[in-house]
Amino acid sequence: MVLVEGRQFRWREGMTVADLLADLGDPYPYAVVRVNDTVVSGPDFEKAAVPKGSEVHLIPLIAGG
Amino acid sequence: MTDLKVKEIARLSYARPAIKRGYANQTLYVNLSDSKISIKPVSEKMKETFVGGKGFDLWLLWNAVNKDTKWNSPENALCIACGPLGGTTIYPGSGKSIVTSISPTTGSVMDSNVGGFFGPYLKFSGFDALEIQGKTGAPRVIFIDGINQQVQILEVTGLPQGAHEITEVLTNHFGQGKPRNISVVSTGPGAKHSLIGLLNFSWYDPKRSRARLKQAGRGGLGTVFADKGLKAIVARWESVTLALNDPADEETLKKVAKLHSQEILDQDPKQNQMSMVGTAHLVTIMNDYDLLPTHNFRYGQHPQAPNVGMEVYRPLFDKGFDGCWMGCSLACSHGVKDFAPTTGPHAGRKVFVDGPEYETIAGCGSNHGIFDPLHIIEMNFYCDNYGLDSISVGTSIAFAMECFEMGLINKTHTGGMDLSFGNKTSALEILHQIGRGEGFGRVVGQGVRKMKEIFSKEFGADRAIMEDIGMEAKGLEFSEYMPKESLAQQGGYGLALKGPQHDEAWLIFLDMVHNFLPTFEQKAEALHWFPLWRTWFGLCGLCKLPWNDVVPADNKQTKEPAKVIQHVEWYTQYFNAVTGKSLKPADLIFMSEKVYNLQRLLCLKLGFGRREHDAIPYRAMGPVTVEEYESRAERYDKQLKEIHRIDIGGMGTAEKVKTLRKLREEKYEQLKDAVYERRGWSKDGIPTLDTVTRLGIDLPEVLDVLKAHGVA
Repeated sequence: MVLVEGRQFRWREGMTVADLLADLGDPYPYAVVRVNDTVVSGPDFEKAAVPKGSEVHLIPLIAGG
Repeated sequence: MTDLKVKEIARLSYARPAIKRGYANQTLYVNLSDSKISIKPVSEKMKETFVGGKGFDLWLLWNAVNKDTKWNSPENALCIACGPLGGTTIYPGSGKSIVTSISPTTGSVMDSNVGGFFGPYLKFSGFDALEIQGKTGAPRVIFIDGINQQVQILEVTGLPQGAHEITEVLTNHFGQGKPRNISVVSTGPGAKHSLIGLLNFSWYDPKRSRARLKQAGRGGLGTVFADKGLKAIVARWESVTLALNDPADEETLKKVAKLHSQEILDQDPKQNQMSMVGTAHLVTIMNDYDLLPTHNFRYGQHPQAPNVGMEVYRPLFDKGFDGCWMGCSLACSHGVKDFAPTTGPHAGRKVFVDGPEYETIAGCGSNHGIFDPLHIIEMNFYCDNYGLDSISVGTSIAFAMECFEMGLINKTHTGGMDLSFGNKTSALEILHQIGRGEGFGRVVGQGVRKMKEIFSKEFGADRAIMEDIGMEAKGLEFSEYMPKESLAQQGGYGLALKGPQHDEAWLIFLDMVHNFLPTFEQKAEALHWFPLWRTWFGLCGLCKLPWNDVVPADNKQTKEPAKVIQHVEWYTQYFNAVTGKSLKPADLIFMSEKVYNLQRLLCLKLGFGRREHDAIPYRAMGPVTVEEYESRAERYDKQLKEIHRIDIGGMGTAEKVKTLRKLREEKYEQLKDAVYERRGWSKDGIPTLDTVTRLGIDLPEVLDVLKAHGVA
């Protein structure tokens, strides 16, 4: 399992951030996701692993300076 | 110990008015030429039309200057205001000041917002705004003592040079054992030697027992300050309570403030972690999206960028409360304790550095090809200490470095310095030279626009290439976001009233990453709404960060997440609760639209504010050189083939650069047309008579300016 925004969600072997977002079925176009203490940006979603037991936050980055 | 000598030049005793619904209902006027101090009333009409803050500043400036006024003319006014919501202790981000004047780098209207205690202390002392005209040769300090109800012009000798030392000495001198009662506005020695001087505003940090600094950085306002002969402005006030601002509906205010504060406490740790790392969180994200300026905006990405990312700075920031105004739950003003600079007058001494924030990391780091976190902290410290804008310093040095690498300038011009990208020693040396007003640093301190002129006329450098790569517009250096792949952000920079600063519109993600603005009309709508909404914060004395740097958990489910409508509604309730009005969110936009158009018209009055002044260098739009094109050839080739349907077979890179440039420059002009139409401006970028009439700013003075520019 992984903890996504405080809620348990199923985890699978080799899961990437892109996999997780697809499994979540959330259509919002997230630009940034934090996996534990690591910030992962959109261009890296397909290669960034989500380890089992991770705490994940979906960051709605819309601001800038 | 500094031997301070203080001599009174002029004094005004006054009866401090009680604040009514967020307003003191008067402004303070100081003329340094004749040492005159007076008080001007604020009418209901002035509040209705210009609201406060930046609106008051601009109206005072409008009346102070004429079409021939230059930045260093005695009549140029430096105006500082808070706003009707400023000084509220329970709503996050409610302590901002905004400064306006004619800028030395643009020659036109500049505004810069800043945290710290000064704005609220000025208002609670009895003044919605401070207007300073005139000049003096002797070092002057203006002391606004709200407790004893007197304003003094003082001749002060024996003050140290650096901003940190000036602030410390004056905080101790005027604080009378209560340093938290003091806020100091000052600059530093670099301001008088350059055109890019800033103003430091202090806030007292009781847990660290020191005055901390925030910066009104953009456009050389510190240079205006120094040119007037000012060493500092000091405001003195005592304890601040919620009731002091006389809110009309204290219960609603408490309710909405609690909602927003609690949301920040709940959501910020999950979102951007501003309360822990400030804006430093942006560095690696911008790099990942090819948006972090490197090597004078040639590129948006560098493999060493993580070396200056938030995970590097997180452990360097000193733990503790970092709110630049009382009660702010976002508290993003982080700093580094016991930092020992390796160069300059503070070499080897332990100092406290306020920052670095994202702009300084990008401007004085990646944009110079430098990825050393400690070097950036040192640049940050000396920019503040010398009173220099770290964005303009960063972008100006980056320009000089690229000119050096291109062979447009060489060591005979730089005093022997190797200005190759990545040269930390030279970057620091230039900064010290700007601070001292010596050597090649004195040239760099004139900013990018003046450097282009000097390099061309005195060094024989190719003007055309410098126009392409010199990252300034209207005379102001670009802030640190790469706009090449976002037409909307090109407009966000180029169509910003004061010049390319991102505080009017930051649309890169909406436009480039999410493609939510595919049409010109959608881009134009965004370049209407966002600048107006962001203007509103400057009218009221507020910081914009709590609006969209942390958002409600369910914000993504709203129709337009980028507007953070829940927060817009809270801000409307907040405004109504303080002022006693019954406005709706759309009314706030209308309030801003009046002031926004007044600022454009003030630019026009000064000989700017037309279409030609909204031009941006091609480096902001696309690849200037073959090398830049080839670094992202796949992207650019695809655009030429798939979007523009151009057969690029047989084209060399130079021809592709030329073809892409023509297309992108045409699009930027089309964007201007769409935005001007949406804003109610003519094709030449001037607000029409219908627009000024609809907004209720058809004042005789305004109509005279329009008439003088052919708009009857």
